Amino acid sequence: MTNPTNVHRSRRSGSGEVPLQTRANTIVKAADHATPLELSDITIRYGGGKGGAEAVSVVEGFDLTLHAGEMHCVAGRSGSGKTSILTVGAGLTLPTSGRVFWEGDSLESMGDDEIADRRRALIGYVDQGGALIDGMSALENVLLPAVPDGEVDQRRDMAKDLLDLVGLGRRMRHRPAQLSGGERQRVAIARALILGTRVLVVDEPTASLDRASANRIISILKDTTSDGIAVLVASHDHELVRLSDTLTELI
Amino acid sequence: MNAVQRFIRSKVLLLTAAILIAAMCLSVLVQSQSQAALNRTVDENSRGLYDVLVQAKAPSGSLLQPEIANGSGGISFEQLEAIRNLTGTSVAAPISLVSRVTQNLESPRLDAMDFLGYNAGLAGTATADQAAGATAPDQWPAAESVLGDETRKYRLTASAVSSDGVSEQTLFKSTAEGTLGKARLVEEQTAGGSSIRIAAPGDETGIKFPAPAGGSEHNLFNLSVSLPMAPEITESVVAVDPAAERALLGSAGDFLSPLEKAPPGDARDAGAVGRYLEGLFTNGISLDELEEGPDFLGVKLKYWAPLMTQYQQAKRNGQLTDDSQAIPLIVRSGTSLDLKYNVKIEEIDDAGKVIKDVGTVSRSLDKDYLPFVSKDPFVLSWPGSTDHSSLLGSSGNFNQGLYTPATWSTDFAAAPKYTDGEAAANGAEQKTAVPGEWVTVNRLPEKSANGMPVDQTQREPVDERSYRENLETGEQAAAPLAMVYGTFDPSAVAAAAGDVNKLPLGGYDPTPFTLVKDAAGNEVPATELEPSLSATGLASQSAGAITDYYGLAAARGLTENANVIDAVRVRATAPGSWKEAQPDVEQLAGEIREMGLEATIVAGSAREDASIFVPGYSKDDAGKESALGTVQQSWVRQNAAEAVTGSLSGTNITLLFLTLCGAALLTGASTVSYIRKRKSEAGTLRAMGWTQGRIRRWVLEEFGVGAVLLAVAGIVLSLASWSLSTALVSASVLVLYAAAAFFAAQQLRHRDEVDQEPQHDERLIPVDSPLTFANRQLSTNKFNTLSLAVAVGVFGAAAGGLAALLIDIPRAAGASALSGLAAASVALPSILLALAGVAVGLVLTLVTGRFELNAKRQYLGILEAMGWNPDMLRQVRLFENALVGTMALPLGVLGALGIGLLLAPYAALWAGVAGLVAVLCWIPIATKVVQ
Repeated sequence: MTNPTNVHRSRRSGSGEVPLQTRANTIVKAADHATPLELSDITIRYGGGKGGAEAVSVVEGFDLTLHAGEMHCVAGRSGSGKTSILTVGAGLTLPTSGRVFWEGDSLESMGDDEIADRRRALIGYVDQGGALIDGMSALENVLLPAVPDGEVDQRRDMAKDLLDLVGLGRRMRHRPAQLSGGERQRVAIARALILGTRVLVVDEPTASLDRASANRIISILKDTTSDGIAVLVASHDHELVRLSDTLTELI
Repeated sequence: MNAVQRFIRSKVLLLTAAILIAAMCLSVLVQSQSQAALNRTVDENSRGLYDVLVQAKAPSGSLLQPEIANGSGGISFEQLEAIRNLTGTSVAAPISLVSRVTQNLESPRLDAMDFLGYNAGLAGTATADQAAGATAPDQWPAAESVLGDETRKYRLTASAVSSDGVSEQTLFKSTAEGTLGKARLVEEQTAGGSSIRIAAPGDETGIKFPAPAGGSEHNLFNLSVSLPMAPEITESVVAVDPAAERALLGSAGDFLSPLEKAPPGDARDAGAVGRYLEGLFTNGISLDELEEGPDFLGVKLKYWAPLMTQYQQAKRNGQLTDDSQAIPLIVRSGTSLDLKYNVKIEEIDDAGKVIKDVGTVSRSLDKDYLPFVSKDPFVLSWPGSTDHSSLLGSSGNFNQGLYTPATWSTDFAAAPKYTDGEAAANGAEQKTAVPGEWVTVNRLPEKSANGMPVDQTQREPVDERSYRENLETGEQAAAPLAMVYGTFDPSAVAAAAGDVNKLPLGGYDPTPFTLVKDAAGNEVPATELEPSLSATGLASQSAGAITDYYGLAAARGLTENANVIDAVRVRATAPGSWKEAQPDVEQLAGEIREMGLEATIVAGSAREDASIFVPGYSKDDAGKESALGTVQQSWVRQNAAEAVTGSLSGTNITLLFLTLCGAALLTGASTVSYIRKRKSEAGTLRAMGWTQGRIRRWVLEEFGVGAVLLAVAGIVLSLASWSLSTALVSASVLVLYAAAAFFAAQQLRHRDEVDQEPQHDERLIPVDSPLTFANRQLSTNKFNTLSLAVAVGVFGAAAGGLAALLIDIPRAAGASALSGLAAASVALPSILLALAGVAVGLVLTLVTGRFELNAKRQYLGILEAMGWNPDMLRQVRLFENALVGTMALPLGVLGALGIGLLLAPYAALWAGVAGLVAVLCWIPIATKVVQ
């Protein structure tokens, strides 16, 4: 079982990179709700199914209120439940108990379709390693979230701008297999931002990246907060932990 | 880790081998069950009442026509005895067509109740001693009549109608008018006393139809109007050996036992027998004898009166000679001849205008009718009449003045002549019935029973198609007199003859015709053709009577033992099923052939409907001929058992082979996909310094374990079923499995060139919907997509092939009744076998699909995280499988068509449809699995 330890820090300004607002001020909407994401008394347990395996409690009684423009880092050792908290927060899995609020609305009262629609409008999820779809270029990967709303063509320029923003303007025709780990991670972040996300949920964005690549990712994430986007990041990267506004350390 | 451990760890290889072995076991088991059911059905249904049909002339073709008694003879009694003396003979039952017999049904009459009440002067003698159930005088009802006190004028319209079940023919229509009124008793003084008589009203004219109808007359109970003569009807008579026939039919032949007691040929003098019976009447006969019939050589002749009266009539007409014989007969009860007599009664005024429609009365020949026996089959009753004649008591079976002797001739109602047409896909034969010349029927006799000339103008003769053959026998037979010993029920005989293995018994068991298509070739509701006016038509009814061979000789006028036997039905002594008895039956048939006779083995045969087109069946008033259409009649398919067993066994084995081949091919596809997953392992091994050959062996060893398992299963199954087909199928599966293994090993070869994926091609279809996303995924993983599409295509082709075989079973089995039964017996196992094949194929396509399952789940997870809703994710899965299905369709449909054309051309189109359906069904199933 992991006990969260919340460490709250004061908000700070950007890291010295060019602020996101100044480069992509037309594509990022300001937050329209003070607390876009709230987790209340979340407990997550695995196992205990038909096979008779003993249930493992990963997280218990976890609370989090994520404000607009705030970057919150969930840190902890491997297996401490960081990814589980992120997937619950992104509405991808349901907690064993506890409640998840998106802009004040509980997910309990929503159906699968509504969760999917709300997630598309509210949350950008970047999983560990920046999973992309093989066979599709970086640009196409970025545009994927626009498919459900039929806005692929309308968002094409925006996607290019985002790829420029994350430093991949010249690699947008490359496929995932032709990109490095850091590049894939940045494409995934650009993809998460394409629909004007208000909460960016990022899982281990700097894992297995060299320092320079990691710093570039951290800088991008930090810049997004200055535009009112809340960032929930799971990481044990010291630099990322240091730059986050608030921190939950899972023990 | 050794090869066995690696094989077990490779769950897919283990699963594939397990599925294959399970499929082999199930298929072989089902196939053996199917074969057993088939053999059992054939054994139980392929031996009928007799095994060998002996005729003088060989029948042509393997489809035997049912008419085996045609009057042409050709087999002598010496030959019959020789057949009976063969050690392999159990029963040898001869049969011959004796004659056509034309009977006069006498003058019909219409009885209008005109009961005058009891009068001692008219009824006293009959009722004096209460004889035979007569009613006591004081209990007679009061007089009553349907006629008026005053005479009224009536018009009677008499007509006779006959139908063959398809069209109706009016044989004649005759009208007569006259006045009728209630009779009265007139007492007249005579010398020495008074007399009483029944007198018509003074102004009654009566009603008189043309001669020989005798007009109308009043009696104690009725006013009887003599009606126009009914048409003569024709019956056929067959001869059998009653003892042999009983042995052939078993208890169903018991009706022939009285015939066995008939006197020998030299004691059948018609004059002597007639005088004896006449004497009984002259000398007095008890009431019991009147009811049951007098004892005649140990048999009570219930129907003795017809013979006596025929004797009297023949004597009066000078027909009786010293050679005239009394012929013992078992007569048919009932008739299938459609003949209806109608009388319309109208009251009219002097101007002929109808005042009142009194009604129409009619009567048909029906089950009460007995050839040679029935008296007055067409007595019709005026509406509202009551029959009071029973007040005088019963006269038993005695009735005076019955019939003139029937006319016997050898103008036989023989079977139609048939010419062969095209054979259908299942071997069913098309034929054409070639009719004989037109003959004139519905004629009146020259003289009536009382010797009066007959007015020939009252009847229009009718042209009817003739199938008769005239058989010249030399001498004209003296008038034979019918001596009726008993009756038989044709339906009971037909039931005894069996169904599937029904063999023709002869003229007393005719095979009906059923009209199925009209002259234009359009299908019509199946209608069984009825014999119509005479037996000269296409359809014939069961023989009117059965006699013995002495009777045949008398009817034909033969003075010596000629070759008069048409056919001999021989049952072999060998017991058991056809397969068991076959060698003995064949030996017996061979011995009969050595006598110079034609012996057709009919054991192992089955009835089969032959389609027969009948041209020139009817003629209109202008003389234009019209075809009847197509009729069906059960013939006998020789060697049906062997053909059915052979074809259905072949189908069974093909089904088995297809099932396992489909499984094996799909195993190949699944193996190839599996090997792709092992590529990274192969790379690691190469990095460890393994050579190409060593890696190849490493893979083949794993497959070797599966191959050994398959081989062991194949050997065990082959030994257990002791079937060459199982061994061949098992070996084939093994070979296919091995080929798949070698192909798979080839796929693991190291390629020196580095995969350099090109940059994204902007010409690709942009991804903007679930469909384009699915398309991109499939085009990215071309090899897997192709292998899956091939697997699905093979699955569709196999499903189509199996469907084709299933549909084709009835055709492959043939057109006989045994075919239908045998096909039904193997239908369930065959369907199970086919379903097993389809299930195996489906499972293996899904196994193949599951190799990509993790990758699919991963990108579906990414899409979900990006906010694609469940419906869109389902669309992605559906479109992916739909695109794979679309790629698989040509292979599935064309493959199914190809297999269908190869194995069952008749059902090839259905095979294609089944292949299409199978592939289309795979799409939602696979979509569900990925979910």
